[in-house]
Amino acid sequence: MKTIRRMFRIHRIFLVQELKRMMEYKGDFVVGIIGFLLIQLSNLLFLWIIFSQIPDLEGWSISEIIFIYGLSLIPKGIDHFFFDNLWSIGYFIVRKGDFDKYLTRPVNTLFHVLVEKIQIDALGELIMGIVLVCSSVAGLQVEWDAFRIIGMILIIPFITLIFTGIKTITAAIAFWTKRSGNVIYMFYMFNDFAKYPATIYSRWVQNIITYIIPFALTSYFPALFILKGENPLFNLGMPVLASLVLMTAGILVWNKGLKAYESAGS
Amino acid sequence: MKKRLRIYWPFVNAGLQEVASYRVNWIFFMLGEALSCVVMYFIWSAVYHSGGGGVMNGFTMSQMIVYLVMIFLTRTLIDSDVSFTVGEEIRDGSIIMRMLKPVSYNATFLFHELGGKLPTTIALSGPMIIAVEIIRTVLDGTFQFSVGSLLLYIVSCVLAYLINFYFNICFGFAAFVIKYLWGANMMKNVLVGFFSGAVIPLSFLPEWLERVFLFLPFASLNYTPVMIYMGQYAGAEIVYFMGLQVFWVLFFCGLSKLLWKVSVKRLTVQGG
Repeated sequence: MKTIRRMFRIHRIFLVQELKRMMEYKGDFVVGIIGFLLIQLSNLLFLWIIFSQIPDLEGWSISEIIFIYGLSLIPKGIDHFFFDNLWSIGYFIVRKGDFDKYLTRPVNTLFHVLVEKIQIDALGELIMGIVLVCSSVAGLQVEWDAFRIIGMILIIPFITLIFTGIKTITAAIAFWTKRSGNVIYMFYMFNDFAKYPATIYSRWVQNIITYIIPFALTSYFPALFILKGENPLFNLGMPVLASLVLMTAGILVWNKGLKAYESAGS
Repeated sequence: MKKRLRIYWPFVNAGLQEVASYRVNWIFFMLGEALSCVVMYFIWSAVYHSGGGGVMNGFTMSQMIVYLVMIFLTRTLIDSDVSFTVGEEIRDGSIIMRMLKPVSYNATFLFHELGGKLPTTIALSGPMIIAVEIIRTVLDGTFQFSVGSLLLYIVSCVLAYLINFYFNICFGFAAFVIKYLWGANMMKNVLVGFFSGAVIPLSFLPEWLERVFLFLPFASLNYTPVMIYMGQYAGAEIVYFMGLQVFWVLFFCGLSKLLWKVSVKRLTVQGG
């Protein structure tokens, strides 16, 4: 209990420092947020143009597609907001030998890396995700009972950990190879598949994104439960299970990597 | 000419060696990029399936696959991240090292980047063109490869790259005003991606918007070369769109020189 309270206190101190740093460059974070909003807008425009040509996409209405799309952005945005620092581990912190600083402090290294920075740009994704989910509701025929709403809210932190877990595992590869930024990038890009209903993909792609790099669990399966009330045990249980497995694996790989870490040069 | 080559060869070589030392990283990066291409393939299959097949805005399903692959190839070939390099050098002052040398400022960047592009171009172009031809032949049942289209495509790509290069040089000078180049670059890439037909073929847009986009410099980057390769443009159209490409090359080349003259006066390098 005491350690958890200590962790929260450390987290708060880091957050305050970050906010002070960001207040110095207000214009910059507006640029960043608008940038990420634009990416989503361009994808939405694509969907809108497509749906002006066809009545539905393999049986999915535009509202359902937008719901799935929006739902995929929320955990992605949360992970991006809090745990963006893992990218720096993969791209340059380990390579330049800057990782030494984490080793000299009396805090768990992974925890330190995760809470050290926040990425305000992520608000572009987060805001867009919430707006899309809310605006799609009008076009959906869903009975909004307490079970659905609570299920949706409770599942989001777990889904977030699927992103964080995959990033932790791939970032930790840098301890052996010095640089793993593009490995993170490749696995992270699989979340592109999560934006659309998994039924449009072929069988083997569906299996990969459900069981191996499980981004289908981050939006499609939870959405199946929320939209159609199907199989809550699998549709909510699997994302929880996957997040726990991936995060545990992430911590194990990270700790193993620490032992392999050699600082760079002088 | 020979003298030029001797002067700029070291820049080409430096670019080449940089890429060579990050081979594995490059492969992972390309795989990541290719994933979004795969997603697009599945979405278009679903779209054509739901729309009952046939032709959509001038594209059959097999043409759409060819379009996706060719856009992927063209984007990679004409890609330029010189805006980032220029911006960084202006910010940290290392630009002074280039200004001290008796060589053209723009040309050093151009040759450095071309050096880095050499391996990519060789590794990707051949296999992807062959793949496209196999896909077309299998899906349509006819062999459609044309040497003329390929040659025109190559010329069009060179023009597209030059437009992109000079456009990015101009954009890099924005570092004098904007500090957060990463964010600004991302914004630029999204807009260019959409305007150049990389997200969706421009013929899917409402007609008035398509006309505007076709005239803007961005269509010259990806859409024009790909449409030429696919044989979607006839004689007069090819002349018109390639003429437009030449116009935009000259426009951005001139603009970059002008901006350079203006910004050099504002440049202050501390210490150094």
